[in-house]
Amino acid sequence: MNVPFRYIQRRTIVHRLHPFTKMIYVLLTLLLILIPLYDIRHLPVLLPWLGLSAALWAAARIEVGRFAALMKILAGTFIFLMLAQGFTYRYGKTVLIRFGELHFGGSNVGELTLEGVQLGFMLSVRILTAASSLPLLVMTTSNAELMAAMNQLRLPKVMTFMFVSALSFTSLIFEMWNNIMDAQKLRAFDIDRMNLITRLRRAYVPIITPLILLLFRKANDFQIALETKGFGSPGRPTEMETLRMKPVDFLAIGIFLIIFVLCNVLRFRL
Amino acid sequence: MDVKVKLHGVTFTYEGDIVALRDLNLSARRGEFVVVLGANGAGKSTLCYLLSGIIPHIYGGRRTGEVQVAGRDPWDEPIHVTAQRCGVLLQDPEVQLFMPTVRAEVAFGPANLQVPREEIERRVAEALALVRLEGLEDRNPRDLSGGQKQRAALAAVLAMHPQVLVLDEPTSQLDPLGRWEVVQALHRLKATRDITIIMTTHETDEVMDLADQVWVLEEGRCILAGTPEEVFTQPERLEAAGVKPPTLAHVWIHVARKSGASIHRDGQRLRDLDVDQVARQAAALLRQGRIMPRPLPDSTRSPSPARPAVIEVQDLVYRYPGYPPVTALKGINLTIREGEFVGIIGQNGSGKSTLVKCIVGLLRPTAGHVRVLGEDVRRLSVGQLARRVGLVLQNPDYQLFTISAREEILFGLRNLGIPREEAEIRIQEALRWVGLETEAETFPFRLSFGDRRKLTVAAILAMDPQILILDEPTTAQDHRGRYQLAELARRFREEKGRTVIMITHDMELVARYAERVIVMWDGQILMDGTPEEVFSQTELLHRSFLRPPIAHEIARQLASFGIPRRVLTTQDLLTVLGGLP
Repeated sequence: MNVPFRYIQRRTIVHRLHPFTKMIYVLLTLLLILIPLYDIRHLPVLLPWLGLSAALWAAARIEVGRFAALMKILAGTFIFLMLAQGFTYRYGKTVLIRFGELHFGGSNVGELTLEGVQLGFMLSVRILTAASSLPLLVMTTSNAELMAAMNQLRLPKVMTFMFVSALSFTSLIFEMWNNIMDAQKLRAFDIDRMNLITRLRRAYVPIITPLILLLFRKANDFQIALETKGFGSPGRPTEMETLRMKPVDFLAIGIFLIIFVLCNVLRFRL
Repeated sequence: MDVKVKLHGVTFTYEGDIVALRDLNLSARRGEFVVVLGANGAGKSTLCYLLSGIIPHIYGGRRTGEVQVAGRDPWDEPIHVTAQRCGVLLQDPEVQLFMPTVRAEVAFGPANLQVPREEIERRVAEALALVRLEGLEDRNPRDLSGGQKQRAALAAVLAMHPQVLVLDEPTSQLDPLGRWEVVQALHRLKATRDITIIMTTHETDEVMDLADQVWVLEEGRCILAGTPEEVFTQPERLEAAGVKPPTLAHVWIHVARKSGASIHRDGQRLRDLDVDQVARQAAALLRQGRIMPRPLPDSTRSPSPARPAVIEVQDLVYRYPGYPPVTALKGINLTIREGEFVGIIGQNGSGKSTLVKCIVGLLRPTAGHVRVLGEDVRRLSVGQLARRVGLVLQNPDYQLFTISAREEILFGLRNLGIPREEAEIRIQEALRWVGLETEAETFPFRLSFGDRRKLTVAAILAMDPQILILDEPTTAQDHRGRYQLAELARRFREEKGRTVIMITHDMELVARYAERVIVMWDGQILMDGTPEEVFSQTELLHRSFLRPPIAHEIARQLASFGIPRRVLTTQDLLTVLGGLP
């Protein structure tokens, strides 16, 4: 399995934006989802921002399949949230399904309520809003640009490299995870046929144990490779990428701010 | 010429009192290419770590004696200072590449050393030209082939302008094309005469003509050191130290000794031998009657008579999803019969592993059918297929996770639902089969790499599959351990009458064990026949960047002297050229 969200080398307008511009977009997204939006009537608050994200995904020419991969990862969480809130939301009044009377923590967890499901839905939309912005930054900004931008911010060299190497390590972990899964399946360990409870109970020890042991070993090799390339030397490394803000960056930031303000206005109007 | 590497009375002991190097007294001059040979555990990697400062800064231990690398002792200075004089390239290219583009990767080292930007750009261009990666500057290193990745990693080291370059088995994880690419880059680097290169390897054939000096280590001691002529003329000592003598030198010396001719070449160096020269020498001695061809014992690898098919593959297509999708198998048709010993060869990306993954059910065919013991794999889970087909992967560390070898084997048996009493019997038998019966309670990670691989074979054999598949059984093994897994597979086939399939890049392995060879190229089967038939198709093999075993190439040139064409291995050739008048 490929890592779904890794840098995709293209020459689109989104790729050419300064990393700061894209970081501002991510930052504004995170600020937006911090606004307490629990009621379904507040859904339109997030729609303009989701529209902006969709436009950026399209402008970056990122395949629909990658977005589908993101949705696949999140779908389980969304369903869980809606069911969990549906059964436990204490202010729920409109009963959709009743299984019986089972009072716990001030609510009847034997009933699935509309208000609870709506609350879970709103939480899901907020998660989706956040989750659609960070992959966009990663997929359209190379590690070298990210490092250069973080250097411009005068962040410590170690912090910059930890961030970038964590991104690099992700693909290695994906690859190892898949190889370990395959190796254990070959010993009749049918993880795909196990139900969720069995998986949680016994499936992950044979996967996670070798993964941790291998990661320790790889991390050691990684350290050797880094240090023998002069990584520990004092002083700031030579900057190989010179990044400058262009008019299109200011225009993009302007658009982000306008939409951000619009969302906030909607929040107080609705 | 000034000395760039000097070891005087060097002994090194790892924490835990494991002595890795003992009283080494060696030196290398500017521009020299030193090849370091030795079995696994002989101390080769420790020597690399000691020269490059990885010891003591990353791995600890005690050292006595004197080490000088470009005039300084790496023990006394930070590793980033040593890195300016001594570069190191490791086995695994994956862990050495961390930047998003090849250009950024190569610039990473000099940028850390605060080399001015214009100078870095010049060095990047120069290093990439030397390893022939010009034009790939903007590619992501992770998207390159194995050989390209290792060359990118080499360029990244070269851009730091080291005076000494330490290479720790840089070709051991590459396919034949990747190995050839790296060796060619090393030839160009050597031609600059500017840099001292210390390279450890097991592949003596590919470095014989590169070496100016050869050091042979055994249990931490240097037992042989000298020019290739001095070292490679002692094949018995090399074999005793677990080192494969280079085939050309080995055959040359064998023929010369048998005939009483001189092992020295008039005005030429042993290291420059090629197949034609060795064949001409043997032909001259055969013609003069100074040696006589001896019959080759009948092969025990007679092709299996027509038996029931155990694997049937029809019009198999497999497409990896992605952006864009990649078609890895393009209409494969294949039948493998009970009791066959099949070798599948081909470059990385030719489709070998994908084919095997379709057979064991890890991948579901995009189109076509795969039947194992008569059943369509689509109808079976991987677990159900595991009862029928056992696949031993290259890296044992992907599967080991329990506290003992015994528990490790029990894991698969438990998944199959085998009763405890029967499982115990199977565990004992499997451990005995692979020779690990005394290690039943040992923590798997305390075993050597070779024994860990044997344990994974035991874990698969205990499940009693009808078909055994070995993926690269010689990876990371030294000369002694190279054929251990293949030997186990041969016994499995002969004693139990089961089917064996090997995926490999090792032509000598195929020549030694397989009775049928399948060559894959670009998702298709290029050739399918006996080893003799396949290895005689040199043009087709070249097209897929493969080369027949050297011994077979020599034997083909000697066919008119009665040397049988079924000579495939070095041992076969030494046997048939061993007759005295």
